[in-house]
Amino acid sequence: MKAATVMVAEQAHDELSAAVQRMRDLGAGFSDARSQTVRTTGVSSMNGELRQLTEKSTGGVCLRAWIGGRWGYGTATSFERKDIMTAAEDAVRNARGDGIPGLELEPASVRKHLRADVRIHPDTVELSEKISAAMDLDRAQTIDERIVNSVGSYAEEVKTNHIVNSAGSDISWEEVRTICRAVSVASDGGHMEQYYEGPDSTRGFEIVRDADLESIGRTAATEAIATLSAERAPSGHMTVISDPMVSGLLAHEAMGHASEGDEITKHRSFLSDAVGRKVASDIISMYDNGTVPGAHGSIPFDDEGTPSSCTKIIDHGTYTGYMHSLETASRLGCRPTGNGRAENFGKRVWVRMTNTYFGPGEWDKDELVSETRDGILCDKMVNGMEDPVGGCFEAKCLRGYRIRDGEIAGMVQSFTLTGKSVEILCSADALTKEVILDGGMCGKGIEDWVRVSSGGPYMRAKMIVGGGQ
Amino acid sequence: MRDYEADIALQAMDRYDQAEAFISETVVNTVYIDGTRISNIETKREAGMMFRMAKDGRLGKSSVSLNSDDAVRNCIETADTVLSFSPETPSFKGYAVPAQAKIACPDVWDKKVVEITADDLRDLARRVIENCTVDIPRAQIRVSATESRTVNSNGVDVSHRSTLAYGHFTSMTRGDHAGEGMELYHGIGLDGLDPVRIGRSLSEKAVGSSNSKEFEGSRSLTMILPPDQLGDMLTSSVGSAINGENVKYGRSLWKDSIGKEVASPCIDICDDPTVAAPLSCAFDDEGTPTERRTIIGKGILGGFLRDTFCGDSTGNGMRRSSVEAQGAYDRTPTIKPLNLTVRPGSKSPEELIAETDEGILVERFAWPEADGLTGRFGLNVRCGHLVHKGEIVGTVSNALLMGNMLECIRNVACIGNDPVQMGVVTVPTMSFEGTELVGGN
Repeated sequence: MKAATVMVAEQAHDELSAAVQRMRDLGAGFSDARSQTVRTTGVSSMNGELRQLTEKSTGGVCLRAWIGGRWGYGTATSFERKDIMTAAEDAVRNARGDGIPGLELEPASVRKHLRADVRIHPDTVELSEKISAAMDLDRAQTIDERIVNSVGSYAEEVKTNHIVNSAGSDISWEEVRTICRAVSVASDGGHMEQYYEGPDSTRGFEIVRDADLESIGRTAATEAIATLSAERAPSGHMTVISDPMVSGLLAHEAMGHASEGDEITKHRSFLSDAVGRKVASDIISMYDNGTVPGAHGSIPFDDEGTPSSCTKIIDHGTYTGYMHSLETASRLGCRPTGNGRAENFGKRVWVRMTNTYFGPGEWDKDELVSETRDGILCDKMVNGMEDPVGGCFEAKCLRGYRIRDGEIAGMVQSFTLTGKSVEILCSADALTKEVILDGGMCGKGIEDWVRVSSGGPYMRAKMIVGGGQ
Repeated sequence: MRDYEADIALQAMDRYDQAEAFISETVVNTVYIDGTRISNIETKREAGMMFRMAKDGRLGKSSVSLNSDDAVRNCIETADTVLSFSPETPSFKGYAVPAQAKIACPDVWDKKVVEITADDLRDLARRVIENCTVDIPRAQIRVSATESRTVNSNGVDVSHRSTLAYGHFTSMTRGDHAGEGMELYHGIGLDGLDPVRIGRSLSEKAVGSSNSKEFEGSRSLTMILPPDQLGDMLTSSVGSAINGENVKYGRSLWKDSIGKEVASPCIDICDDPTVAAPLSCAFDDEGTPTERRTIIGKGILGGFLRDTFCGDSTGNGMRRSSVEAQGAYDRTPTIKPLNLTVRPGSKSPEELIAETDEGILVERFAWPEADGLTGRFGLNVRCGHLVHKGEIVGTVSNALLMGNMLECIRNVACIGNDPVQMGVVTVPTMSFEGTELVGGN
């Protein structure tokens, strides 16, 4: 192999600029070039023994050419100048779809270079301490022989990005994410249940040092065992108090996906003409906010170089707006909101959420339960699915509690929530004071995973509940 | 392939008790349809390597994209650092050992995929659009060619090359009660992707679902799943229960069930890498020979799938994906079925419906998936057709269908004769008794 031009993302300016110019020379009306490196460390300990310990490093470039209202992409896992130029030529050659004549993009022209705002950068921490964190989380779950499987895990991701575009932007930034998890599986011989616990954030290793790992592990194990005695959840149309995790899932799945600008330009959203319309009760406000300090979905810039922002989607029950990429903003005559995101340099840019949540209310949780005659209280989410066309959603809950006459009346196994999003939000009549965000991954359709968070307060509303078997 | 990188890796292996390198090189071409127009076309080129090693009971592992001269050496050095911090892993059983292939290498390389151009892909997508009378809000056709090589210090040196074609298409009517349709395509080439059939089917499905009514109340009934819905339901439940790692760690409800009845006597399931399917291969991604293997015979559990981590590998340690070629080198081997195949029955889907007293034919779930631990599911039915005394009597949406997939395969009502290859499974239409549908009010 001949000598290569080695570089890291933040040193890529010359090569990326040359690629942008090359695409312009070949006819691109707008072009951008993005380099990215992603370093991950993952540790998992299972049943007292190290199961996974790995360090990964990927990196490459993504070149985009916008010609006559259509995109062409070229990507490569290489930082060699000749490979970057080949990818730039691929991008121009690929811009052969169906154009939108006359559509001009309005990219930002920004020159900024940022490091991640973390107290303890994971790069400064010995690997042995990360291993210990995972093993401590695992060991803390060893409290009862009914725990048949215990997992303690630690994961970090350090991502560097550099974008140069034909509008004059030259941006580089770093993103750091750290996650700890304890997952317990309990069995009584007849059936199995699981529970999980642990923090996530765009903070550094401080989330591990500040955490009580022993308590996190014990909680996961204790609650998994407790779930073994849970009864089957009821089914039907009933009052549900969603916990902050499930409230976030509703915000994300029920309204968030349908507020992504590309779904609007495709007329694929039940919210396509909803601005100014009543879509929820007066107590409901909802946001997508990529600037929340420390939240898992926070980003300084999106993958098109647009600064992140806070989009108010619902204001006291009235629908107010959409999230945008460069393309959807131009098509709808709006400003880009910093929601053009890609899973990595090898994936396309779509309109994606960041941190999506309902605003707070005025109730206390205990007061909310005591004022509920008959219902179900959710405890943690599993996953969910959006339905932007039909205006519905699906939210799977890990477990919950029956509420009868204002009292907790027993634990129930996993169940699923569904219903018409607007009807559910219009039925919402109580929110608690504290908003909590929970980090995770969001796929669009069936792939393209990006890091997000979602959350809200405890929320009471009516929806369809289906208890599993 | 990649002799330069493989040689560096092989030279470094002398320093360890055992070591292994996996190198993959992939070209992916994708065309996207957004809002009934071809919005963009991509070409991706990637190469990468994962290096794993063991010394004195400790394990190290690292992966890199091959983006510079130093990448391989950096990868090995990082893995070495990981190893130096690693505690001992007593359960490590060693990497693959050299062995003869047990099956002929399946024909999974389609030259037409390798030679495809952006214009070819665009024309194919255009024909889908032309044959669909409703909107196509989102679709993609993705083809890829991957060459991979596994070398290890035990003397394994196996190469594999395969092509992959994947299509995901959605359709939609407009209006107050918009209907949606979906089509999937899995294969090793594009010969089976018929743009005329897909376009017409998308139209029919979207128009059909626009006539759906919201289901109200609750009802116990028979669940009828066509292959595109059953595939993921089966891999998420049965695939999880037969996964050797889940068995090892006590997460499988079938861990003590070898030789016991776990399904209806009419159920035969094998893992069959001998036919041309996306993950079919003569050696898995760790270099272990694969073979056609009975999993369930006449309802009796015959065995589990394993990789080298579990020991006594069955040749199911896979890094490659059945839908996404990108990133194979970056994935630690996990246990996957290569082509989990349900033996088809003799009845057509129409006969299967005719034999159903009260049931629902699920055209589309929000996402077909059962819980991997318990088999439970509670899924939003986006479009389902109610069956009463052998006839379809209406179309419903926005209801929850609940059951347990590990119980469902004990309660099989009928197996269809229409198997379709869907990623890592090949399944026909099947009907299952004992599920419950719940709607509003």
